[in-house]
Amino acid sequence: MSRKFLYLTKVSLRKKFKTKWFVITNIILAVVLILLLNINSIVSFFGGDFDSKTNIIVIDNADSYDLFKQNIDSYASSLNEDEENLKLTIEKSNKSIEELEEALEDDEILIELNSDNMEYLTAKITSNKKIDTLTYQVISQSLNSTKTTIGMAINNIDATTLNNISSPITINRVVLNEDNNVDENMGLIMSSVFPTIILPFFMLTMILIQMVGGEICEEKTTRSMEIIISNVSPKQHLMSKILASNIFVIVQGLLLVVYAVIGLLISTNMLSSGMSLPSEVTSIFDSLVSSGFMEKLIYVIPLTLILIVLSFLAYSIVAGILASMTVNMEDFSQLQTPLVFLSLGGYYLAMMAGMFNGSILIRILSYVPFLSSFVSPSLYMMGEIGLIDIVISIIVLIAFIYLILHFGIRVYKVGILNYSNEKVWSKLFKAFKSKDV
Amino acid sequence: MLEVKHITKYYGNNKAVSDLSFTVKDGEIFGLLGENGAGKTTTFRIIMGLIEANKGEVLLDGDKIDYNLTDKIGFVTEERSLLTKLTVLEQLTFYGVLKGLDERTIEKDIDKWLERFEITSYKDRKIKELSKGNQQKIQFISAIINHPKLLILDEPFTGLDPINVKLMKDAIYEMQKEGCSIIFSSHQMEYIEDFCEKLVILVKGHPVVSGMLKDIKEDFGIKNIMLRGEDLPLDKIEKTKGVLSVSKVRGEIEVKIEDKSVAPKIFALVKNSNITKYDVVEPTLNEIFIAKVGGIHE
Repeated sequence: MSRKFLYLTKVSLRKKFKTKWFVITNIILAVVLILLLNINSIVSFFGGDFDSKTNIIVIDNADSYDLFKQNIDSYASSLNEDEENLKLTIEKSNKSIEELEEALEDDEILIELNSDNMEYLTAKITSNKKIDTLTYQVISQSLNSTKTTIGMAINNIDATTLNNISSPITINRVVLNEDNNVDENMGLIMSSVFPTIILPFFMLTMILIQMVGGEICEEKTTRSMEIIISNVSPKQHLMSKILASNIFVIVQGLLLVVYAVIGLLISTNMLSSGMSLPSEVTSIFDSLVSSGFMEKLIYVIPLTLILIVLSFLAYSIVAGILASMTVNMEDFSQLQTPLVFLSLGGYYLAMMAGMFNGSILIRILSYVPFLSSFVSPSLYMMGEIGLIDIVISIIVLIAFIYLILHFGIRVYKVGILNYSNEKVWSKLFKAFKSKDV
Repeated sequence: MLEVKHITKYYGNNKAVSDLSFTVKDGEIFGLLGENGAGKTTTFRIIMGLIEANKGEVLLDGDKIDYNLTDKIGFVTEERSLLTKLTVLEQLTFYGVLKGLDERTIEKDIDKWLERFEITSYKDRKIKELSKGNQQKIQFISAIINHPKLLILDEPFTGLDPINVKLMKDAIYEMQKEGCSIIFSSHQMEYIEDFCEKLVILVKGHPVVSGMLKDIKEDFGIKNIMLRGEDLPLDKIEKTKGVLSVSKVRGEIEVKIEDKSVAPKIFALVKNSNITKYDVVEPTLNEIFIAKVGGIHE
């Protein structure tokens, strides 16, 4: 590597890192990420009406109040053991329903229990406003349990028999193709977890496109390009921009990981109470482990990282070539739009891949450069494709990078010295066909 | 020594430069003139190796110009080519390193040049904060920081006041004395007349005038006679064969004649008048430029 190339890269990196905006942006990112990961504590810190109680008034026309109360107390206490702040009281009333409805307060729920020959038990729930989800869930489950107990008693069914009837069927799941050995629930997990995982990659891709293009555009519009290109070849110039921008986004990506780790460490109060993640995080983590996600992740991470780095390269090369064809930042902003939409398309395809099980088109799209880094890992995690398919995506991407470098550099060489929009496509098409580089 | 040999450059079907040849010896200042779009920028780009000519070649000290040789070339572009977000020190270091110098050497030289151009206090200021004149000085310093063998100056005095023009002129003469070949381009003909012994005028890529300035003036034919006096027979002068025009310029009468053979006839007409000045002068480069370029247009 020539000294001038390294120097150009160094200057380009210095321009990116040694700015107050880099520092300010990272402070904001760190603060926002840490706050988001500690949002529960922050909300609690600022206080609120967390201690409000809900009173359940029961009109018992089915002689089931005691059983229902027992179920309500049982569910509520089990939820409170899981650190849910659910405060319910329950009382029986002998007043008429009309009388009670008229006097019903906002923090009261009126339940009328009635016997039914067919369904054993029916209920009417009345409230002044919407009941919060958790409370409604507890009431609903308690009513169901009460109904089941009544039904069991009437039909002489013991608890063991009922359990045998209602327990889920035991399935011994076997997939003969090893690559596709995956839990079918993965699609559901992926749809909630994967967008979060790939969002930073999508953001960094956007930053990368903007950064490469912006720098080349700046050198063009200030006419310093002529001086630079008279001393280093266009290829070296483009590669220095690509290398510097890729280093920047990778460092920025690592910084985001660091901020996230700091946020989690603060959240778990690691220093005082040892390593334990919040219940929400551990719950997601447990689901991922049980579904085989983590095991697959170990295999797919190295390949995904290669795919991501190669995709960064492809995006930055194309962004650089597009920037060379423009004469100002406004032109570049317009010209980069298709690239941004391509990346956005990849992001959405990755999120929705689970909806198109077995689709040949989605499988083919997972090989397409620009999309593959989003779609391939997603499909692999859902068991739609195997590791070999990711390797194919990588090979296709390498071939694509070679081709865009080979032909694109011809366009770049002509583009960076072109300051006119007149016949620009004709000039660039001619450059594309030429061999003089 | 720079040798430009029969270069021709096409952009599509448009011939930007046509069979252009000239030589700039060491320590020589060469003028490259032409109206806008005449092919000057294309010629500079070919010399700098930015684009290749379809025909012909450019040699510097006998070697074809490539990325090793461009280290020995300095280039002041017509439009300012500075990265405005950099400081003066960063900008000069940036171009210096691209010219193959190391950063320590550059920093020593920078202080010397900044002092000479009286802008030492701007060393750590951003380019965009400087006036146009000071930016032009930075552009000039960045072109000579590598002590080039060939210096291309495209409108180098843009935005400079007369004092700073003198500072830059002195620096250019110093470079000339050091043996640097200099190509100078400007629309201000008085600068060309000041600097250049040799020049070429391009019209639509074609060299229409080429050679030593004194020979060009000689060959141009048309001379000017400057007259001052009383009772000058202007009617008779105007009707004399070979007189192209008679006009009043700054209190004097300027008689434009076809060639120097007409001068004695004019003298014969005015010798008996009360004249205080009779001077046969060469045409200005400006006149030659307008005549040649305008003639092609017509």
